[in-house]
Amino acid sequence: MSESSPGPLVAIENLVKHFPASTRLFARPSYLKAVDGVTLSLDRGETVALVGESGSGKTTLGRCVLRLTEPTSGTIWFDGTDVLALGSADMRALRRRMQIVFQDPAGSLNPRMAVGTAVREPLEVHRIARGKAARDRVADLFEEVGLDPSLTSRFPHELSGGQKQRVGIARALSIEPEFLVLDEPVSALDVSVQAQVVNLLTDLQRSRNLTYLFIAHDLAVVRHVATRVAVMYLGRIVERARVVPLYDRPLHPYTASLLSAVPVPDPTVKRKRIVLAGEIPSPRNPPPGCPFHTRCPHPLKDARCTTDEPALRELQPDRWVACHYAENPMEKPAP
Amino acid sequence: MTALLRVRHLSTSFQTEAGLVRAVDDVSFDLAEGETLGLVGESGSGKTVTALSILRLIPQPPGAFGPESRIEYDGVDLLRLPSRELRKVRGAQIAMIFQEPMSSLNPVLTVGSQISEAIRAHEPVSRKEANDRAVELLDLVGIPEPGRRFRDYPHQMSGGMQQRVMIGMALSCRPKILIADEPTTALDVTIQAQILDLLLELKERFAMSVLFITHDLGVLAGVADRVAVMYGGSIVEQGPVRAVFEQPAHPYTRGLLHAVPRVDRPSDRIEGIPGSVPTATAWPSGCRFHPRCSECMKRCEVDAPPSYSAGTDHTARCWLLDQSEGQRQ
Repeated sequence: MSESSPGPLVAIENLVKHFPASTRLFARPSYLKAVDGVTLSLDRGETVALVGESGSGKTTLGRCVLRLTEPTSGTIWFDGTDVLALGSADMRALRRRMQIVFQDPAGSLNPRMAVGTAVREPLEVHRIARGKAARDRVADLFEEVGLDPSLTSRFPHELSGGQKQRVGIARALSIEPEFLVLDEPVSALDVSVQAQVVNLLTDLQRSRNLTYLFIAHDLAVVRHVATRVAVMYLGRIVERARVVPLYDRPLHPYTASLLSAVPVPDPTVKRKRIVLAGEIPSPRNPPPGCPFHTRCPHPLKDARCTTDEPALRELQPDRWVACHYAENPMEKPAP
Repeated sequence: MTALLRVRHLSTSFQTEAGLVRAVDDVSFDLAEGETLGLVGESGSGKTVTALSILRLIPQPPGAFGPESRIEYDGVDLLRLPSRELRKVRGAQIAMIFQEPMSSLNPVLTVGSQISEAIRAHEPVSRKEANDRAVELLDLVGIPEPGRRFRDYPHQMSGGMQQRVMIGMALSCRPKILIADEPTTALDVTIQAQILDLLLELKERFAMSVLFITHDLGVLAGVADRVAVMYGGSIVEQGPVRAVFEQPAHPYTRGLLHAVPRVDRPSDRIEGIPGSVPTATAWPSGCRFHPRCSECMKRCEVDAPPSYSAGTDHTARCWLLDQSEGQRQ
């Protein structure tokens, strides 16, 4: 493992990703602002969750951090290295230290390749091990993720969804990365199996001191895995905080609405939901001012929200909110 | 309350390359007037096949119903009704909405014309009259500017709006029963909240009975009066929603309730159920939950348990509930 510098393992500064969105040949170019100025850092060994509805830009941000999608502008530091300044050879070397696990384990495994081979492949590509050494390592990895090593010769379709996701995790871990982007890693799994995989990820993080960027739409899962949470809306972070204060007392009206909308598996709890009007606007044509003002239920909402975009401000230590009225947050609906 | 729909010993099998596969096995339940029955289960548990069987939307072959199977609606067995008669029930008396509205809507017709067509398929009204009612229905399900959106094509609408259209279409003939198969699973949580509110409101307004199929115990807790838990093609527990959540009688139900993370309370660790969800091509012997059950006994590996009482209107299929002498091991 390389020398590590002090400070965060990953620091994202003012990251922007705009996709061209012109539909007509001679029209003025327009852009879909998928990620629009995001600043976020991850300390070693912590899990930062990125939450938001579809279209919020959370997956694009995750892909940008690994340069699977090339950002439009901004800076990404990985252990003191400016990731976006690296040439392709240096980038390949750095990729050994950062990996991704996808939502759909079936879609990310080659259906014609035995799952053991899929886990061994990165070892050979990165010239870490080959032959018997590589096979032994694959068997160890299988055990570490809770799979019987006899399954190495199986093909993806012969495994259950949970087993496939374990293979995806073993493959990502094979080259001993320090940082994993987990893009909805348990969303496709059944509830009874989801908990097993969540616990596996937590255990691996402790034993290997891994740093996770956990992308998810399920706020209940996030509460159980995250150290810190960043809530995204239309390509921007609207609130960023440690997990306990964020869930106990959300300061942004979007966070409050999102949390109140999550159903609770208890028929005696009749929660008052903040039901948001309308739907998330198109990132092609985001509203002026505060991007959330078109749906905002905050009683203090006024003309200023429709013209001035609120900056992400640090209200308390490690507690950032982009709302003009963050000092007067909406009351949490009584349970 | 009287049962509007009575499902008895429903078994649905499919002829596949792997042989005969029994996806639904001896399922019985009642749906009372005005109640919402939540059918909950994980993938492959048989909940969707159960719903499709009620409306006989299972192609035969490869599908087939067991000889004991009966689905009684209004005193008539739908499984033995001639197709012509069945068509008068489908849509008009029992309507269904699905998880993916986009795959149920015709992409090349406007949403308004599709609703209008559904009305005219069941009622002898003029096109003009049907169109007017379609606009009213779009308004009813909360689509803004219904007169204008009538002429929209499905792709011009968001997922939430498409699901509203599906609900409008399902309600076009004022059905007595609405079968909702994972109607909010593909939606974001804020939109899910809107659609659930809409469904509850319309259910009250039209005094419908609802069979609500979901994998989400949170959604279930919010909508259901009674709950039926499916596992391995059978209903393993059935009862009033509070009883099932507060005193779950089947080890699978208990495991499921422990496995679901909660947004309203912190915890360091959630406990999953070991093993994998079984598939119909290889059901385990005996009780189908036995390979994953922490309380498994010898007999569970061999014999499938019958249904035992676990309280008022509350049953579970588990040998642990067997009170007969000398049976507990």
